[in-house]
Amino acid sequence: MNDFSIIGKPIAMIDAAEKTTGAGKYTDDLSVPGMLIGKILHSPYPHARIKRIDTNRAEKYDGVVAVVVGKDAPNPYGILPVGHDEHALALDKVRYVGDNVACVVAVSESIAEKALELIDIEYEVLPAYFDPEESMKAQSDLIHDSKPQNVEKDYHHVFGDPDKGFAEADQIAEARFIANEVTHAAMEPHSTLASFELDPHTGKPGRLTVWSSTQVPYYLQHKLSLVLEMPMSQTRVIKPLVGGGFGGKSEVIPLEIIAAVAARKAKAPVKITYTREEVFWAHRGRPRTIIDLKTGVTSDGRITAVKARVVQDGGAYCSYGVVTILYSGALLGALYDIPNIQYDGYRVLTNKPACGAMRGHGTVNVRFAFESQLDELAAKIGMDPAKIRQSNLLQTPCITVNGLRVQSYGLPECIEKTVERSGWKARKGKLPKGRGLGIACSHYVSGAANSIIRSDMPHSTVNIKIDRDGGVVVYTGASEIGQGSDTMTAQIAAEVLGGSLARVRVIAADTDLTPIDIGSYSSRVTFMAGNATLRAATEVKKLIAAAAARKMGCEIEELIFRDDAIFRKGGTESGASESAQTSRGPDGRGRPSPHGSTESDRLTQSHGAELPTVSGHVEGQILRGSLQQKRKEEGPKNSMTFEEAVVAAIDFHGALTGTGSYAPPPEARGGKHKGAGVGPSPAYSYSAQVAEVSVDEETGEVTVHKVWAAHDCGRALNPVSVEGQIIGSVWMGMGQALTEEMVWKDGMLMNAGLLEYRSPSSVESPAVEPIIVESIDPEGPFGAKECSEGSLAATIPAIANAIFDAVGVRLHESPFTPERVLAALRAKKNAKALNLTEGVDPTSPIRFREHGGSLCFNGKGPERHALDPSRRETPSVAGSAD
Amino acid sequence: MSLPEFKLLRPRTTEEAVRHLREHTSNVRVLAGGTDLIPSMRQKLFEPGHVLDLRGITAMRGIRPQADGGAEIGALTTLREIERSDFLRQHYPVLAEAAATVASPVLRNMGTIGGNICLDTRCLWYNQSLAWRKGCGFCIKKDGDLCHVAPGGMKCWAVFSGDTPPALLCLNAEIEIVSAGGTRRVALRDFYTGLGDNYRKLQPNELVTRIFLPAEAAGYCGVYRKLRVRGSIDYPLAGVAVVIKRSNGHVADARIGITAVNPAPLLVKEARDLLVGKAVDEALAEAVGDVAAKTAKPLTTSALTPEYRREMIRVFTKRAVLAAAAN
Repeated sequence: MNDFSIIGKPIAMIDAAEKTTGAGKYTDDLSVPGMLIGKILHSPYPHARIKRIDTNRAEKYDGVVAVVVGKDAPNPYGILPVGHDEHALALDKVRYVGDNVACVVAVSESIAEKALELIDIEYEVLPAYFDPEESMKAQSDLIHDSKPQNVEKDYHHVFGDPDKGFAEADQIAEARFIANEVTHAAMEPHSTLASFELDPHTGKPGRLTVWSSTQVPYYLQHKLSLVLEMPMSQTRVIKPLVGGGFGGKSEVIPLEIIAAVAARKAKAPVKITYTREEVFWAHRGRPRTIIDLKTGVTSDGRITAVKARVVQDGGAYCSYGVVTILYSGALLGALYDIPNIQYDGYRVLTNKPACGAMRGHGTVNVRFAFESQLDELAAKIGMDPAKIRQSNLLQTPCITVNGLRVQSYGLPECIEKTVERSGWKARKGKLPKGRGLGIACSHYVSGAANSIIRSDMPHSTVNIKIDRDGGVVVYTGASEIGQGSDTMTAQIAAEVLGGSLARVRVIAADTDLTPIDIGSYSSRVTFMAGNATLRAATEVKKLIAAAAARKMGCEIEELIFRDDAIFRKGGTESGASESAQTSRGPDGRGRPSPHGSTESDRLTQSHGAELPTVSGHVEGQILRGSLQQKRKEEGPKNSMTFEEAVVAAIDFHGALTGTGSYAPPPEARGGKHKGAGVGPSPAYSYSAQVAEVSVDEETGEVTVHKVWAAHDCGRALNPVSVEGQIIGSVWMGMGQALTEEMVWKDGMLMNAGLLEYRSPSSVESPAVEPIIVESIDPEGPFGAKECSEGSLAATIPAIANAIFDAVGVRLHESPFTPERVLAALRAKKNAKALNLTEGVDPTSPIRFREHGGSLCFNGKGPERHALDPSRRETPSVAGSAD
Repeated sequence: MSLPEFKLLRPRTTEEAVRHLREHTSNVRVLAGGTDLIPSMRQKLFEPGHVLDLRGITAMRGIRPQADGGAEIGALTTLREIERSDFLRQHYPVLAEAAATVASPVLRNMGTIGGNICLDTRCLWYNQSLAWRKGCGFCIKKDGDLCHVAPGGMKCWAVFSGDTPPALLCLNAEIEIVSAGGTRRVALRDFYTGLGDNYRKLQPNELVTRIFLPAEAAGYCGVYRKLRVRGSIDYPLAGVAVVIKRSNGHVADARIGITAVNPAPLLVKEARDLLVGKAVDEALAEAVGDVAAKTAKPLTTSALTPEYRREMIRVFTKRAVLAAAAN
């Protein structure tokens, strides 16, 4: 069972060389003849009605080819069918500073930028809403007319009997937690190149090709066809290399639509690449979340009930919001055994950029609150924090109280291993003053069991083509965004077919060439596209096996595909082709092996670009060779090279193709209540982490020294890749825990750049010890589950709990900036209070002041200074001051 | 964000450079390392017709120890060279330490000491793109007539965020300023105005060419402490430089400079009187920290809250004094 040749081996990503040498092409590296540059004009107001747009002066500017405005493409779109509230460019209203108003297409970036200054717009400024709880009181000037009280969506779920649960509890904790807004900060800014082919009959723009930095080429194809009113078949989306997504490219981003609309109007290819500031405005990150959480436990540590009220500051558009607010509630379940859950979730609209999906979509902020509160309860009942988590394990397989089916469940082992490796029992509570350990757990879906567009279609389909050259070409719609999806695909195909990795070529994410895959989000690719690949490869393998069995005069069941050859089980090697006819012996695992190459030989092979030597009979000339081979054959053989078998199979069957698809099984698709569609997954990953931190009690600075992170990924198809994902998750979680925060003033994002946004640098990165736990999921490909998102959510509470262990303060608001930590320390010691609100607008809501969020307040609104040039009749032209 | 169009001037000598400056006085920006100027030009904070690239003037590079024990540093000397200089590390450790904390290694390879001294003051409302500033409303420092940090006032509070100037102030450094009209030499402490917008006393036709470290400041124990959120890349959110000269276990001389909490780097005036003649202990260090915190006037120009940054001036000064005294 474990005798794999490629699965489970640490393998370099198949695109690693082109990325590390700079040879690889990302969207912004692309250029086509006649290509123009597009630049977008953004709203200076958080909430305003557009009364008039005059693009005349801009259109006449030398070098400008076209100016695009909202009415050029008025159809609404949005990633969710229930949230079609966006337009390519604003039609009548702008809803945040940075909203898209117009686009100038010109021969150069600088000309386009200058022409933007010449677009004259008259706005009628409206009252704006920046705080979700204020926004929910709105009676007039709604952000979207169809959403009363500016509530995008609210859900109210009760599972079990929460009141009874709290009555049974011996200890109850109740608190408000706030997790501030963070964004993905992927290294590659979004970029899109759109090009129309002219229709040869009409001379008008015909077929459209879009190259874009996207995680979801098929959704992009769908939305483009909606907005442009073109058949999907006339729209081709190609995903070049993508420099990180983390969810920020998992829906259609305004520039993708704008570039296509602009290319149509300019009748020329148009490329738009966001500046970093525009990336922050496009956003779709993790919303600021206010969590009022109540948890009850018995004195022996059993959780009796959980009640959560969650308010998410969703920004100005729906985006994935409805899904986010549902995940926040649904993923209270499926980690621990919680019998009674009450959940009230509100997704609220505000005049800020739209929040969307971000690594650990929906679960992260609530997990921070829950794991922090569980720690508090452990302290209250005098129980070890690791023990209280072990006291609430699920008895799997099971279906949770909120309808989530859990099969493989590696959480117990994750907790055990982190506790053991971190020296938890010996060191917890015994570290020097100011230093502490904290533990937390998390989990995540391996793909959503229900796609966002409800249908019975497969979530992934994969085609495989093998031709007489012996090359295996896998066509998959799955989007490689740096997470390793192409490598995973190649590994699975190679493993099934017994070929080396170099034999497999992956053609991915091109809607003209590859079968549909709904995208790289919700950690679905390994599970779903992996299963589809497995099925496609198995199908084509059957064809090859049938031919080979006939040639070898044996049963199909007797054949083994391995090391670029097909062997007959237990057969002698006489007559076998030379490449397979080396010395014999047991393989690395001590099992009988059909041939003698060692495990390390195979690894070298899979790393190398060189294909194994083709059989001497063939001598590299497949067609002639196969005839010679036929002539020379004398009786049945005990092995064939892969090439020989392929040639035989094509001779017998004709074309050699296989196809496989995957749709989650009905029993994994969740319950029947409203909103039950979000949360169910065919499998869940599990994570437990211990963080070791020290806190400087004079400055409040927190240093994370080490994180032990165990992750149950079902089976590690590529352990080095899994470890990379775990380390990346921990690092990203640490950013949210300590430094990252989008800071707002009056709807202005104060830190829309990587200098002021402050993702951790390599200097702050702690040692991370990734621990892989393999629970072998019954439905995952080779037992695999997700490994890219689940670990993130545990890091934030692990650090929070470690801070509590170190200095005895409980932080209820992330990130744990030094000022927040110091304020908490001062409050605990009754020392001179640190007034974090000095200089804060006294009219700002108390809640911001009491949480030290002096940089986030609802100030004087959108009113501008009377002499502000942006309010003058004629807008000033950049550079005209000179 | 594209760079505005400009004509690049690449002089080989100081004379040539000041000639260009005289010619294009009001329409030229000086580029030394470019780490601050280039991003600012992309944000359209500066749109000069000419950029004067000094990097070809080899005479403006290098650290030259003087016969009297002092030193002369060319304004184009990179921060990396200062950080790595054995001479400076031995005789003027506070400067080498301050230089080592600037930004990140990549930026220190480009950034120069002259550029760090002349560094434009910074503010969250100022170091933003043109589109952002249009949305927010322009401020006194650029194109506008109000201050977002201290509404109602007409003073610009943009904060001086260089790391090396507080160290240089502690060392009583002087700088040489050259123009077509001649050469002048001023104490660094007289170079800054204390205003956020017009922050330095440098005419548009003038160039900072050399930094002089006096011999009598050599050999002081020195420490620089910097508050920042990340261990790399960030500008200081508060910075403290301390130099102490001891004799017989007592402080013979001391100076303390602070940065990133005012529109200019400042010497803490009362610090010397508090320290001189005494043995440094925790209580004394705390008292010095208190006067340093009083000199600081942080506002919401930067990340973290003003109160916290003032508090950190106090803590970092205390720690720096103790560390310098323990050397």
